Amino acid sequence: MTEKRAFELIAASLEKLRKSGMLSAGAAVKSDTILLGIGSPLDSIGFVTFVTDLEERVSTETGRELYLVLNEINEFNINQPNLKVEALARYVVTLSAR
Amino acid sequence: MGVDNDRPVMAITGTSKGLGRAMAEYFVGKGYRVAGCSRGASTLTMEGYSHSQVDVGDERQVRTWVRQIRDEFEKVDVLICNAGAVQSALLMTVTPDDVLQTFLRTQVAGTFYVCREISKLMIARKRGRIITVSSLGVSLHLEGTSAYSATKSAVIEMTKILAKELAPLGITCNSFSPALFMSDSAQAMGEDWSRRLLAMQTIKRTVSIEEVCHVVSFYASPESGSITGQVINMGLVC
Repeated sequence: MTEKRAFELIAASLEKLRKSGMLSAGAAVKSDTILLGIGSPLDSIGFVTFVTDLEERVSTETGRELYLVLNEINEFNINQPNLKVEALARYVVTLSAR
Repeated sequence: MGVDNDRPVMAITGTSKGLGRAMAEYFVGKGYRVAGCSRGASTLTMEGYSHSQVDVGDERQVRTWVRQIRDEFEKVDVLICNAGAVQSALLMTVTPDDVLQTFLRTQVAGTFYVCREISKLMIARKRGRIITVSSLGVSLHLEGTSAYSATKSAVIEMTKILAKELAPLGITCNSFSPALFMSDSAQAMGEDWSRRLLAMQTIKRTVSIEEVCHVVSFYASPESGSITGQVINMGLVC
């Protein structure tokens, strides 16, 4: 999977949240959009819903059971949670290549 | 196929014997499609019951099981986290580490993994009922159950926190502590243990599977959408 495709999957999950009302309509998703942490448009349940949906999309895309584990993301610090789209996209690429 | 898909789906852990097996039988009889699991092979052969061999203390096995449920049933309406361990009641001073580890693995980690993975299916549909099975030992502070009751107490706390986390999505999470139910496990604990427990209950008798499932049905009911984070202690005022 390429980073471009991973980005598209992330954007699709966020769009689904927008359509369900869990994410307000706003600026387009960019690489430096914050998903978790200060400045994120997602509340905690929104983030959980997003991760659940993305996990499903990634598994469908690859045809394999894949699980997003936050502390496997290089840039992620479980004690100071902060995650941007670009870091997640890179992780999804790595995950899909396993 | 369309009619079958309308039937509600219940996932139950620990269905090889005792309360889990009895609940699986009961709810299949009530029209649920039931996905059960235990470490061993199925002891139930009923139309509407599907079994998987799963060690709930193994994260990977739980994930695989839940994926299988999703592929077969597409949803889970009700989860009953019943899998647990029952071992001889030794005072803490002489309780070996492997007993503690068994309870931590099955009752804490197992409940955690199953709730975490099943909740993903419920989050996607924005509805569901999670029911965990605790123990009267928590309220009674029963001697000889330090590891067991401590881990069952953890199950209650997990349930309450999950109730708050999932409330915005209309998913309720509740727990119940069954009064003494004469399962194989209870019988293995011996008559003296059962007699002691009954003496401590407010209602001094064993309960039937119908009474236990009535509590589950109450929690699972569509009319119980405002009931969350609660613990029902059967047969006990505490």
